[in-house]
Amino acid sequence: MPSTQSPPLLGGAIDPTAVRPPIDDAIIERVEPSRVHDRLAQLKAEGYTMLLDAGAADYPQRAPRFDVVYHLLKMPLRKSSVTEVGRPQRYRLLCGVPEERAILPTATDLWKSADWAEREIFDLFGITFEGHPDLRRIQMPNDWEGYPLRKDYPLRGPARERSPRPAFALKTNVNAGTPPSGRTLEALQAQIAKARNA
Amino acid sequence: MSLSATPLTPEVVSKDGNAMVLSMGPQHPSTHGVLQIMLEIEGENIVKAEPEIGYLHTGIEKNCEAQFWSTAQTNVERMDYLAPSNNAFCYALAVEKLLGITSDIPERAQLIRVLNAELTRIASHCVWLGTGGIDLGALSVFFYTFDLRENILDLQESSGGARMHPNYIRVGGVNGDLPDGYAERLDALIEKFPGRMRDLRALLQANPILQDRMIDVGIMTPEDAVQWNVTGPSLRASGVAYDVRKAYPYSGYETYDFDVPTREEGDSYARFLVRLDEMEESMRIVEQVRDRLRKTPGPVMIDDTKVAPPPKETIALSMEALIHHFKYMTEGFRVPPGDVYQATESPRGELAYYIVSDGGNRPYRVRTRPPSMYNLQSLKGMAPGNLIADLVVMIGSLDPVFGEVDR
Amino acid sequence: MEVGPGQFFLAKLDDVARWAQSSSVWPLTMGLACCAIEMMSVTSAEYDIARLGSEVFRPSPRQADLMIVSGRVAQKMGPVVKRLYDQMADPKWVISMGACASSGGVFDNYAVVQGVDTIIPVDVYVPGCPPTPDGLLYAVNLIQQQIREGGRGGLLARA
Repeated sequence: MPSTQSPPLLGGAIDPTAVRPPIDDAIIERVEPSRVHDRLAQLKAEGYTMLLDAGAADYPQRAPRFDVVYHLLKMPLRKSSVTEVGRPQRYRLLCGVPEERAILPTATDLWKSADWAEREIFDLFGITFEGHPDLRRIQMPNDWEGYPLRKDYPLRGPARERSPRPAFALKTNVNAGTPPSGRTLEALQAQIAKARNA
Repeated sequence: MSLSATPLTPEVVSKDGNAMVLSMGPQHPSTHGVLQIMLEIEGENIVKAEPEIGYLHTGIEKNCEAQFWSTAQTNVERMDYLAPSNNAFCYALAVEKLLGITSDIPERAQLIRVLNAELTRIASHCVWLGTGGIDLGALSVFFYTFDLRENILDLQESSGGARMHPNYIRVGGVNGDLPDGYAERLDALIEKFPGRMRDLRALLQANPILQDRMIDVGIMTPEDAVQWNVTGPSLRASGVAYDVRKAYPYSGYETYDFDVPTREEGDSYARFLVRLDEMEESMRIVEQVRDRLRKTPGPVMIDDTKVAPPPKETIALSMEALIHHFKYMTEGFRVPPGDVYQATESPRGELAYYIVSDGGNRPYRVRTRPPSMYNLQSLKGMAPGNLIADLVVMIGSLDPVFGEVDR
Repeated sequence: MEVGPGQFFLAKLDDVARWAQSSSVWPLTMGLACCAIEMMSVTSAEYDIARLGSEVFRPSPRQADLMIVSGRVAQKMGPVVKRLYDQMADPKWVISMGACASSGGVFDNYAVVQGVDTIIPVDVYVPGCPPTPDGLLYAVNLIQQQIREGGRGGLLARA
């Protein structure tokens, strides 16, 4: 059966980021929202020159509901060969953002590339970034309501339950009316009864 | 405003406040997809360029949360639709890291994965070159490059079943071994390639019109490129030789002999040359893989039937195989809880997935680091001070794919 | 059509108009996603849509008569597709290429319009994800058949 129709087997780990085995070679740190901007500035001064990505995740059963994850990389800032680049150190900064106060300071003053990443987090999760030059929706239309990637937002959107079933499906098809060929279940049963009695 | 390059600064003051706002796109022949750029222009000179994306937002990340780990891969493959096998590769590597089976992937499977990844890299650069040529008015290049791409798509169709989005690289290995006749066709492609590259270079590389249009257009210094989070050929054309295949080798890339082409100028012509060189380096890797494939028989999928479905022949004979197959198809497999960040080198840059699992049979969160989105963002800094025609060249040289930008 | 004893063809003007229209269907570049790449392959030398008459793909809707919606239509793009369809001059035809344009495809979610036929009328649907270029060529053949056999087209732009 299609995977979207079978019930999910949830793993039950409420905070997956806390139970992971060490599988990455990135330095991982968790920081609270009041300190995140200073920590990012510190890391940038230490040489983490590239903000690879800023993403978010939603853990509705956990106390700070959202997680904003910054991935940083120590990239040389001048012309460098493969050996000079080497294996740059990765850093992952996780910041737990509570639902009641979903506001973080922007990182656009440190890295210009944070611009669209933060707009996307705002668009899909609803976390606002103070100090962002142009915080508006980026993926959804400007007048969209709701934050799609939150776990309580329905997959198919607010307006519909499932795709409408086609009219030619025979069984349990109360919404679609008579199929164009006229082959309903009653007609079939009548045909069988007629053949039996004939 | 002068034609020569201006550094990446967005503060270009307009002379007399006579700017017009023009919407370029979202339906436009030269924007490489659905991109809208709100241009503030004075005549043909750009004062400010603000790309608007989201016209292809498909909700892939949310869709993945509603599917099994194995079926979510089909969604993920449709992000960067010019190099789909690479998306599948990165996703499979990330899930395997979470499962802890990275070292159990059979060697032949790793060879085939690298083969597919490099072939899609060449195919993707073929599309870039063809459409880049069309943007500049060089229409013949399109036919040459798409002919080369047809050979590669033939190979993908014979091994994976479909030209694009073959869903061939899966968690645990590859779906089925290479068919008969594949090796001969691969040999024929390797034979044909150097001649075709010579043709393409002869058509374009020394062409004075192309050089006039591309040299000194859209210069990015290394500092600017790193600030704007640009990776891939665009970063390497600015001088920083960062290639994920060399920096964080995966799936055996450290054992292959290939170079990372780099340039210093950082303009569109440098990005053009870097990609052409990359096609040749990819073919070098393909040749090495071909030689190794001859000497490496073996399974192409991991033995663990909890993660991969059992071979079809065993289902009718073994009860366990039947049960495992049933469970795999109706329930999927579970992945231990945790989060992982896995990066690969896509033709556009560092493609990475940050995948979170809560221990269940569905992905909890699949966050993509889209290289094209960050590459495209650098247009905001590169475009001001140039002509609209230069903007077309710059978009082409950054090579964005909107399935990935918008997801 | 009849060939007369001398040098004359006798035919209905409408038939001649339909013959001309079906032999020169010019598509609009409505390439959205992966199907657009297969649409580009259809213009390449191996599949060559130009031999069916679609010599050029016009970016301007005023100059095109076939809209090939190739790819998933996002919520933001829906109004744009509708506006472009309205801007095309009659007679116009629409091919919905691929599963996403026909019905939403693999993406049954909030962000994709579940079938472009909820916005614009479609003449031919092409299944596949993405369909092979042969499928698109067959779809153009079906459009040509539709033009020749009746319906929209001919002398009167609207049937």
